[in-house]
Amino acid sequence: MNRRRFLQEAALWSLTFSLVLQWPFTCNGNRAKAQVAPARLPRARVGIARGKNYADLVRRSVTLIGGMQAFVRPGARVVIKPNIGWDRSPEQGANTHPLVVRTLAEMALEAGARQVRIFDRPCNEARRCYTHSGILPAIEALNSGKVRCEYIDRRKFVETPIPRGRVLKSWSIYRDALEADCYINVPVAKHHGLAGLTLGLKNSMGVLGGNRGRLHHKLDQNLADLATVIRPSLTVIDATRLLLRNGPSGGDLRDVRIEDTVLASADPVAADACATLLFGRDPDDLGSSVAAANMGLGTLRLSQIQRLEGP
Amino acid sequence: MKKPYLPILWRRLSQLLCFAAFLFLFVRTDYQGQDELSGAVNLIFRIDPLIALATSLATRTFITLLLPALFVLVASLLLGRWFCGWVCPMGTLFDWSRPLLGRRDRSLPAALPKLRYVLLLLTLVSALFGLPLVGFLDPFSILVRGLTMAIYPAFSLAIEKLFTITYQHGPAWLNAASEPVYQFLRETVLPFQQKVFTNVLPAAAMLLTLLALEWMQRRFFCRNLCPLGALLGLAARFAPWRIANRQPTCSVCSQCSTLCRSGAINHQSQVNPERCILCLDCLIHCPQQNFSFGPSRRTAFSLAEGLSRRAFLGTALTGLATPFLFAVRPLKRQPQPNLIRPPGALAEDAFLNRCVRCGECMQVCIGNALHPALTEAGVEGMFTPRLVPRIGYCEYQCTLCGQVCPTGAIKHLSVNEKQAVTIGQAYIDRNRCLPFARAVPCMVCEEHCPTPQKAIRFRQATVLNDQGQAVTIRQPYVVDELCIGCGICENKCPLPGRSAILVTSAGESRRNDGFTDTPGYR
Repeated sequence: MNRRRFLQEAALWSLTFSLVLQWPFTCNGNRAKAQVAPARLPRARVGIARGKNYADLVRRSVTLIGGMQAFVRPGARVVIKPNIGWDRSPEQGANTHPLVVRTLAEMALEAGARQVRIFDRPCNEARRCYTHSGILPAIEALNSGKVRCEYIDRRKFVETPIPRGRVLKSWSIYRDALEADCYINVPVAKHHGLAGLTLGLKNSMGVLGGNRGRLHHKLDQNLADLATVIRPSLTVIDATRLLLRNGPSGGDLRDVRIEDTVLASADPVAADACATLLFGRDPDDLGSSVAAANMGLGTLRLSQIQRLEGP
Repeated sequence: MKKPYLPILWRRLSQLLCFAAFLFLFVRTDYQGQDELSGAVNLIFRIDPLIALATSLATRTFITLLLPALFVLVASLLLGRWFCGWVCPMGTLFDWSRPLLGRRDRSLPAALPKLRYVLLLLTLVSALFGLPLVGFLDPFSILVRGLTMAIYPAFSLAIEKLFTITYQHGPAWLNAASEPVYQFLRETVLPFQQKVFTNVLPAAAMLLTLLALEWMQRRFFCRNLCPLGALLGLAARFAPWRIANRQPTCSVCSQCSTLCRSGAINHQSQVNPERCILCLDCLIHCPQQNFSFGPSRRTAFSLAEGLSRRAFLGTALTGLATPFLFAVRPLKRQPQPNLIRPPGALAEDAFLNRCVRCGECMQVCIGNALHPALTEAGVEGMFTPRLVPRIGYCEYQCTLCGQVCPTGAIKHLSVNEKQAVTIGQAYIDRNRCLPFARAVPCMVCEEHCPTPQKAIRFRQATVLNDQGQAVTIRQPYVVDELCIGCGICENKCPLPGRSAILVTSAGESRRNDGFTDTPGYR
């Protein structure tokens, strides 16, 4: 092969290849579908279950609001987003309880999910958090080819516009969270130094890329803005243990209170509102909930929330 | 290709397997899902007799971690420098780079091979008097450092970029094929996270220079510079088995002396055991098959390439005097605030004496917190580990660096012991910290602080904001007694550029008695 031939062939092949790759019908591109919040809300219902059997709590609370079939259609791609933020053990109350996560994965499979993905972008080293939280071992014990507890892949963060955002106009968000057919938000209820409490809306920060610390300025409105694009179909709040002080990372067992409660709702604001009561606080104390309710993202007033408590 | 090719095939197989094992251990030098690492990932340094000898001289103790080195030394007393030709991954790399660099042997000064003995002597004498140089000359230190700090991260980034292109711009059918490949690579050869390192270029330059020297002469480093090879060469003088020429039938055609990759055969076709690395090329390529491996009588070659008494004394005196020059700099008296050592590091002098600059701790550090120093610990402290919190922080429950340190320069601590070790202390820069400087609420440092009783706490204060209004705000402060200096606060501070909370080495526990280099430790 001489130089001329080499150059000709190189040009031809690069042209062909780039055309094939850029072809509009084959390109799956980089477009994240940002869902927009529905304007009219159905009456908010929150299922609340109490007891010692955590797997049973999850099942009961979700059944109270219509069962998993109401959220997961057969063949759906489900994302479960627990809090796996910290290199802490389950009893320290900084992460979602592994049993809660595992039960939700099982329920999604029973409802016919094609694929269940579980992930979080942790604050501590990811492998230590996934292991020490007990969530990775619990999911691996399921031994299902359809359920995967995955580490964040930084290629999957896409810059996403937030058209309804009042402060935040765009942020980089994890693609799998945006594209899921059913996104289940599973926060652990705990104290937070700045937000007061960290519940469902705050838990959404786990699918964000970039320098998340920057969001702490005007945190409440930022969280509400994010809630316009990160729309969980179902919020399950793990209040089996409450971290009452030194949150969100905790580390001292004296700061943890056993509460044995799980709350479930399709309305993220209503779920957070009911969970604030467990801390002896008022839903209006939580700035992010107030901001989200003002934007019409959910129901904050307890009088308008139907609280369904199981037997 | 001549008749009995088999011995060379065996050697090449050995080189391949040893190199593969070396790479396997290198990639395994990472968190494996448990607090304790399984397997001896730092084996390569623990079988190195030069490191064992130099650190033992420097610390005047026998370091039991380095016991396996005795095996290599004894084996060399029996078989000569077989390690250099059959095992050493650096030597293998030289042999493999040969086809890339072309075959161009230069005639170099005949005295050049003496240099390795000068370097060996200098290393050992200066180690005894408190100036550790072994990390700059030991082949494994240079190799692992270059791989850890430069080659491996760059390789990983290149692979990630490639699969980012296919993932973000490729069609679905391409992703269906490429994504499983990428997942497989991530689970096997790629590091869990993309790391960055300070001083990538010096570390890479050292390794690549040695490879480039191969252009001047085959095995240039092994022949002329390697102090480990010199040490094994001294042992080889006593080896009863060696390669020798059956002199009576030899026609002294001198083909072998140009063929030999280590320059071990002179023009009378005699083999110098101090140089011979048992590559077995001469066994195969001699037209009359005059070479054989077996029991042989002692050689007539002079000891240590005939290093003169003057050179010996001069080198020894240099090795004796230089440490005192280095010892009278102020940094030897006053701890450097920006030199934060990993948890479990011995007191500074003892640490420098033991540390062989291998980079294992930096390879294993899951927070990408440990970085090679440039001159923060003095020039002789170059490539020693240093915590740079803005790049990475020390993970509260992790003890991996102490587990992989081959010489015990970083103690192997239990999780509880480690959490009680203070490596530095944080302070707040009120000119930048948002609640102080701008009356903007922020608590990122406090939320990440890992100690059960928080070392960062808040006080209520009323301050003027940018508009001149008085606002009540919570301002952070550091509790010195609780702060362990892990650096997560400095790392996570959301301000762009320089952090508003900074860690210095103040208050580190290794300055107390618990971390001096006590004899009998391990």
